[in-house]
Formats: sequence, structure tokens, C-alpha cells
Amino acid sequence: MVNFTVDEIRGMMDKKRNIRNMSVIAHVDHGKSTLTDSLVSKAGIIAGARAGETRFTDTRKDEQDRCITIKSTAISMFFELEEKDLVFITNPDQREKNEKGFLINLIDSPGHVDFSSEVTAALRVTDGALVVVDCVSGVCVQTETVLRQAIAERIKPILFMNKMDRALLELQLEAEELYQTFQRIVENVNVIIATYNDDGGPMGEVRVDPSKGSVGFGSGLHGWAFTLKQFSEMYADKFKIDLVKLMNRLWGENFFNPTTKKWAKQKDNENKRSFCMYVLDPIYKVFSAIMNFRKEEIDSLLVKIGVTIKHEDADKDGKALLKVVMRSWLPAGEALLQMIAIHLPSPVVAQKYRMEMLYEGPHDDEAAIGIKSCDPEAPLMMYVSKMVPTSDKGRFYAFGRVFSGKVITGQKARIMGPNFQPGKKEDLYEKTIQRTILMMGRYVEAIEDVPSGNICGLVGVDQFLVKTGTITTFKNAHNMKVMKFSVSPVVRVAVEPKNPADLPKLVEGLKRLAKSDPMVQCINEESGEHIVAGAGELHLEICLKDLEEDHACIPIKKSDPVVSYRETVGEESNQMCLSKSPNKHNRLFMKACPMPDGLPEDIDDGKVNPRDDFKTRARYLTEKYEYDVTEARKIWCFGPEGTGPNILVDCTKGVQYLNEIKDSVVAGFQWAAKEGVMAEENLRGVRFNIYDVTLHTDAIHRGGGQIIPTTRRCLYACLLTASPRLMEPVYLCEIQCPEVAVGGIYGVLNRRRGHVFEESQVAGTPMFVVKAYLPVNESFGFTADLRSNTGGQAFPQCVFDHWQVLPGDPCEAGSKPFVVVQETRKRKGLKEGLPDLAQYLDKL
Amino acid sequence: MFYLIGLGLGDAKDITVKGLEIVKKCDKVLLESYTSILTVGHTVLEEFYGRPIVLADRELCESFIDEFLQEARFSDIALLVVGDPLGATTHSDMLLRAKQLEVKTEIIHNTSIMNAVSCCGLQLYNFGETVSIPFWTETWKPDSFFDKILGNFSRNLHTLCLLDIKVKEPTEESLTKKVRQYMPPKFMSVKEAASQLLGIIKNRQDSDLTEDSLAVGLSRVGAQDQKISAISLKEMSNCDLGPPLHSLVIPARNLHPLEVDYLNQYI
Repeated sequence: MVNFTVDEIRGMMDKKRNIRNMSVIAHVDHGKSTLTDSLVSKAGIIAGARAGETRFTDTRKDEQDRCITIKSTAISMFFELEEKDLVFITNPDQREKNEKGFLINLIDSPGHVDFSSEVTAALRVTDGALVVVDCVSGVCVQTETVLRQAIAERIKPILFMNKMDRALLELQLEAEELYQTFQRIVENVNVIIATYNDDGGPMGEVRVDPSKGSVGFGSGLHGWAFTLKQFSEMYADKFKIDLVKLMNRLWGENFFNPTTKKWAKQKDNENKRSFCMYVLDPIYKVFSAIMNFRKEEIDSLLVKIGVTIKHEDADKDGKALLKVVMRSWLPAGEALLQMIAIHLPSPVVAQKYRMEMLYEGPHDDEAAIGIKSCDPEAPLMMYVSKMVPTSDKGRFYAFGRVFSGKVITGQKARIMGPNFQPGKKEDLYEKTIQRTILMMGRYVEAIEDVPSGNICGLVGVDQFLVKTGTITTFKNAHNMKVMKFSVSPVVRVAVEPKNPADLPKLVEGLKRLAKSDPMVQCINEESGEHIVAGAGELHLEICLKDLEEDHACIPIKKSDPVVSYRETVGEESNQMCLSKSPNKHNRLFMKACPMPDGLPEDIDDGKVNPRDDFKTRARYLTEKYEYDVTEARKIWCFGPEGTGPNILVDCTKGVQYLNEIKDSVVAGFQWAAKEGVMAEENLRGVRFNIYDVTLHTDAIHRGGGQIIPTTRRCLYACLLTASPRLMEPVYLCEIQCPEVAVGGIYGVLNRRRGHVFEESQVAGTPMFVVKAYLPVNESFGFTADLRSNTGGQAFPQCVFDHWQVLPGDPCEAGSKPFVVVQETRKRKGLKEGLPDLAQYLDKL
Repeated sequence: MFYLIGLGLGDAKDITVKGLEIVKKCDKVLLESYTSILTVGHTVLEEFYGRPIVLADRELCESFIDEFLQEARFSDIALLVVGDPLGATTHSDMLLRAKQLEVKTEIIHNTSIMNAVSCCGLQLYNFGETVSIPFWTETWKPDSFFDKILGNFSRNLHTLCLLDIKVKEPTEESLTKKVRQYMPPKFMSVKEAASQLLGIIKNRQDSDLTEDSLAVGLSRVGAQDQKISAISLKEMSNCDLGPPLHSLVIPARNLHPLEVDYLNQYI
């Protein structure tokens, strides 16, 4: 490892073109953390006294016990490129002149879907991603999810094919088969990239290509890896051929005939695929010689590949020897760090095209220009993406990325939470940054200041932010965009202390828990219940364990998990709904109707959102959903929380003073959208139209007190007259298993209202992949059930996919949705039975 | 029988003889306490009438009055309203509901700020549409009343501005919650009203009204210590007329000589 003092690291931070901020992302169990280890051991930066200690990115005890990453962890690395490799960097913004060293900030992220919010937080502060794929299992559901997220955040990917040792030793694949496997994975990855990225877009082409060196191959476990660049270097001199040209020849449909020494584009009897011949064959030879203990062959091979065995390794053989040989021949660190330095963008390059995705304000204000040019002299703009617990209980480091300017210890800055709006004081604090720190694995080092393009932690900011926020010195700065998570907190449990006297500790613990996890929601119901909501069973389990052991430190009782539902409508309201204000002088006339299919998802994805220019949005809605253009221009708001998938549309004509009650109507709408009429669950996919409004002539008699409750009553009446329906969350479930276990999977899924929509064999392996939709409500205990029915051979990965209408009428006693509504009402302490329309609907 | 009885403006003794007789014989007496207040507290009234009275806040009057109306079918119930019972627009709804429930009603009128405002010397004939000036919040700053003042002004009419009072109003945040929280009572003074008006004038370049336009502030009309002040809007925004309630008048542009003479007392 490299011994660096803080001052030396600080020096590197100024060379912004030589910085690479990257995350490692992959499906669970594809070997990210193991691979990361081989990088860290090669290049990790450790300050003097601490060198030599083993450092894993899995810092928590439960992470090591379960062999699973739960929290993302950042580490810094230093790596020097050789002169001959520097020429591969052509973009002048990708390296400082006369500087060979690179500062690589790497974030290792969890692969399990339940923790993908950690991935989202990691992606936000990085510019590049190393996508790791197990070449035996291929591209899996979570690979696709994280890759899609990366592209959406404008993160450039590079690919690493991991676990080659398994392909060779366990599956014993032939060279050509292995090539086909690689080829297929590269294609799959590029298909996903192409789906979510436009080649003509600001990021340009981001496809991965082995012949360009942006795809690596190897084994993280054994510590070896290569790209075509390494092999080309070995042959370039011998063949007297240009390195870049050779790299192109070593991949794809290129065949070489050793007798005629001719290249061909087609396979025939005489020639052989170049990749197999020049890359795989030598590796196969080494493997077979060592694994079959052919001593003499080994010795001659070692000479050929230029590896000498150190004295202490001399008596090793078999797998142990293989590891040593492969590691010294093709050291993983070298190949990967080269890939990272050459192919991933520097902050200078990345921030140019990321600014418009990151900043909410006008794209030409000081902050925007500062971000775009990654200018350390511009006003400070930093995004805090997550909170990291400190050794001091209850306190957190705010972890994030400086996009513009410098963050300095002792500097006075504006701390803006996600609800901050420019020009207002809500969610805004002006405080001093107590301390700026470097975060390296579990160690922190104080540092004077951190310039743009770098990742760091802040002390003392945690009290002003819940989870995330923007830190700036620019008075007119807008927020940096909040992160969009690919999962939603659909599974919830109620918690209470075993000893009622511990309630204050629980409340405090819940606050801390909410900070420590980017996704978890801790909700205090008005009924007094404390709810913890997470992405899945595992996520909740970890959160509750943390709550019990670290945050609240008291024994806790938890309820069975329940899912959250959504309320929606099946058709248009069957009558014009009128509600009168308490003083009877104001009357609202409205109707509800379902949104067309696809629109709620468009709103979820931000394709239709409240910040769009209203004309652009109206055009989109008109073209895609055939909305009336004048109405589509008069969408008053989205809800709940101002962004949700329900809208309120002003369809009135010429109503006087309407704008003076708009805020109150919007507030009433937000309320109703958050707590629907059936069971006070969020609404989804409902459009409300205001058709007419009669108002008292005097503003005093149409204030919030009159209008807000009336709006809610009117919206409730609209819902009740529009065939109310319930929606439940559904998982996309991917299960890998051998063929014999497939039957068992069907049985389990059928019992749980799941349905299989795809079943296929993973090419080149005996494994099958079954894809199914499974209602979240039926997923509790699913993993265990599946294991016991398949002899432990099937492993599911469940990720939230969509909302689906629960068949049946919730107003009809005995139907499934009726039961759900009644249970939910009971749990929330609401009056049991059905809501009464007469309470909400007034007569003319 | 359901009686709506006006209490007048000053103190307990402003009730009419007819009204007092009814109050004494009624089975139940309510005091409406959110559109206006008397200068004396309700305990003084109880002492004067020699009987207990029930305070009726906005929620009771707007949402739960039906219960009392039901009772009124078989007993006599009176609702006392400061000023004239129908001065506040909202009480007409109560009478309609009573009719629906087939409850007989009777109205006992009294004086109201609507006519007592003439104490400042401006002739009642020359008043235009009355407006209310609401308390502004961070996000809610309606100014439609200003257009009405301008309308009156352009037709050479005076405008009586009633000033917002908040007695037991729920807070904005608690409106969307199940548990209501209430704001402390507050009453708008002529000072605050004038500042809000100046705020609007500043945003409207060419309005006929300016900060130098004449305004008449009145406080506690009908009480012993009533005060009247006729000064410019700008001066009004710094003028303290003492405890509530306050009213503001924006006089017409051209005043009758008698009006001018009378107003001169208050300069």
C-alpha cells in the first residue's frame, strides 16, 4: 500500500484532471468486495501508522458474518501510469500535464436489491462505475437495475468479467464456449446501455468494448485480471504491429491461420479465433499444467510468461500455486487501475455533462457554471448523499461530493435540505462547517479544505439535514436534485419498546436510524404508532437490528411486516361532486377519473414532473395521452408531496378570485392524496378536475380554514363516486436454480399468487433462471419457503417492480380489498367500516 | 323558537330592551364569539343578564349548530351576536338551516359598525361596497379587496374596511391533521391594515390611492373610549389607536364640505 500523508493527498486533490471518482456495482454475490480488495492491496492510501492493517470495505461485523455488503464504503487509492500507458489518454481534460499519479476514490456498494438505495447514493458522488459481472451467471436482474441507474445519473460504465476461475475449473468450458459467454455478456450489457443512453446524447458513446480495453477479465478471488491491452503488449513487439491495431484484432470475428500466417474474417478449418488462440490458450495451458501437476511443463511455461516463483512459494502446488502464478503474471490491480485511469472520466470531463442532471437552478447561474467547469474558485456547491455514523453515538458525518468551489473547515455555509426553495427560509440553515474530513474506509483524517471534484465528509452538518442536502456559499443557489431511488419502501413494521418507559429512547433511535440509511422511512402515525418502512425483508431486518443495537439500545417489539397499499379509482366519478365550506359560502365542484395507463409511471420516472415548463408538459400529455391541451396546461399540482402520481387540474372557466384560493385547494389536495378515503393510504393514478367554484366575495371568508377541509371532503366524495380500488406492490422476482428445482419453484409461486413470465437456461451452464411477478404481500418468508421446497437450491432476488390493482371492490364486504381496507383501518386506529359518502358530498 | 339577538357595539347595556327580555326567558343562551367581540368579557354579560351563557366559536356555529337548532324546536334558544345579527354574512346560513328543520326564528336587530361608522362624520349615503382586510401569511396575500376600494374610490364613494379578527382559528399546519391546534387570538389594528395597503400600493405603480391618501381609523366604536383619527395612510401605518376592535375607512376623493368640517375634529 502507498504511504501518503494528508498533505500529499491534499496535493493530489488539486489536480482535478487526475481524479477518478468511481463506484463498483453489481448483482449480489458477483464478487465486488473481493475484487475491490485486490485493488486496495495494490494502491490503497493508508497514512503512516495504519499501514499494514488489513482493511476491508465490509466494515461492519454483520457484513463479514453474512458475507454481504450492507453499507457502501469509500476508499482512496493512488496509482501511477507508466509513460507508455499515458498515451492512451487523449482527452486533455483527462490528465494534468506532467503528472503520472492518479487519485482514485472508490466506493464499494452493496449488491443485494434491498440495499440499492446505497448504490444510488454512491452513484451520485461518482462519475464512473466498474460493473462487475459473474461470467458464470451472466447479467442478472440487479446488474440491469444498477446499470440503468448509472446511465440515468450519467455515470460512465466499464465492465469486468469476474470469476473466470470458476468457468475454467468448475465448468471446464472450452475456449470457444468461453469466448461466446463473454461475447454474450458484453452484448447484454451494451443492450442495456443502449436502452437507457442515447449515443447522440451529451455523454456520447458509452458502450463497453473489449477491443478498446474497457472490458476486463479475470478472477477477483485469485487476484488476477487482464484486458486485451495487457495481451497486446505481450505480442505487439513480436508481431511488429501497432498496439491499438492488435487490440482490435484480438476480439470479435478475427481468425488467424498459424501455418499461412494470414488473418481472416471467417472461420475455416485451418484458422482459429484470435482471442482463443492468443489470450485464452496461454491461460488454459497454465491452468491445465498446474492443476495436473505437470512439473516440467510448468517450468517452461513460467519462463515463457516471465514469472519467477519466489522462494517461499516454491513448495506450493495445485490451486495455491495457480493463484501465485496467475497473480504475478496478470496482477489484477494493475489491469483494473489502468482501466479506471484510462476509461473513466475525470470530474472535469464528467461534470460538464452531469451539471444539467444535477442542478435544479438556471443552467447559467454562478453555481451551474461552477459545477460545469469544476472550478475550485467558484462558489461552493456540495451534495451530501448520505450520513455515516461516527464513533460518537448519535452523530454522523455528512458524506458527499464537492462539485464546485472549496469546502473549508470553519467556513460559513448555507445548508439546504430537500424542501428548500430559493427565496424562502424553510429547510435552510446558515452554519459553520465545524470540520472537513477525509473518509477512508473506517478511518477519518481531518483536512483543512477540499476542492471541487473530490469526495469528503463534514462534521456538524448532521443536525441540520435529515438524510441528504446541498451545501453552498452562493446566496441564490438552488438545490442539487434529490436522488431517485430504484426501490421504494413498501414493506413496513410497527415498533414499540418492550418497556414502555423506553419510548423516548425509541423515538431518538428512530431519528438516528432515519439518518443512517438513505432509504428507510421512520414514520410516526397520528395514532401514536411508530412505523419503520424499508425496501424488503432483509433491509428491514438489518434496520431493526441497527435500531435495537446501535441507535436506540433498548429491547424492541416489532409487529409482523405489512405492505403499504395505494388507493386509486376505476372510472370517472358518476356525478358532479359538490362540497360546501363550513360557512356554506364557498362551493367546490369536482370529479375524479383514472389516469391513462403509463402516466403514473411517467410521473414516477420524472418524465412528467412539476418542474417542467407547463407548455412542454402539456404537449407531451396531449401527444401521448390525448389530454386536452388547455386543460393539460392548467395542472395545478402533483401530489402527494408535490411530486406524486396524482394531479389536480383546473377545468374552470372564468372564476373570479380563483387564484386566491389556489394554495388552500392545493393543500387540501396534498392532504387527500397522502391519506386516501378508503384506508388513508397514498393515492395513485388519480386525476381530479375542478369544474366550478363559487366563492364568498370577501377574502376573509375564503381562507385556508374554510377551503382546505372542504377541498379534502370534495376530493373524498370524488373518490367514493369513482369506483375506488386498491393497488398492491408487486416484486419482480428472479430465481436461479438447477433444472430439477424448477418444479418446486412453480409450486411455491402458485401458492403465493405469483406468476412466472419467463423461464430460460443460462447459456453455457446447467442453471435455469425463472422470472416471476410476486405480490409483496405474499413475499414474507418466501426465501425460506423456496429453499425448503427446492432442497436449498433456489435463490430468489426480489425487486419492487410495479403497482397492480388488487381485484375486487373494496366497498363490497368480504372481498379481498375490503379485508385489506378493514385491517389497515383497524391498524391505524380509524373507525372500522366503510367511509360514508354523505359525510363528504353536499346537496346543492 | 330560535332567536338571533344583536348586542350592539359598546358594552353589556347596549342590548335592546326586547332583546334583554328574551335573553331572560330563554332556556339556553349562546354567545357567538368569532366574528366580533364586545369591549367587556362574557362574564360581565352573565352578571348583567343574571344567567349563564355558552360561548359559541366558529366550529360550533358552522358545524354543530344543527344540534342546537334541533333543541330549539321544543325550547327557546338565543344566539347573541355582537353588532347586528345579520351584519356578519355567515349567519344567514343558520336561518336557512333553521327553516329546513322547521324551527321558528326571530331576529332582534341592533346597531352595527355598518351604520355606527357614521360617527366619523362621513355620510352613510356615500359609502360603497364594504370590504374585509384579512391577515396576510407568508404564502397567502390576497389583494382583491384593494380593487374594490379602488372601485369605490373611482365612483367617489367611501369604503368601510372591516379588519380581520382571529379568535380560536386553527393553524395552517393543523388544518391537514386530525388534531386541531389553534392560534392565539389576534385582532388587526388600523396600523397593520394601513401597512398592508401600503404594501399593495407599492406594487401597483399607477393606483389612484397613494401613501398620502386620507384614511380614517376608528377604534372601539360605541364604547366610552372610542377613538377616531383622520390622517394619511402613511401616518396611519404608525398610528396606535389602542386596544381592539379597529375599523378603517378610505374616504372618497371629493368630500362634502360638512364631511370635511366634521373630519377636521380628528386631524
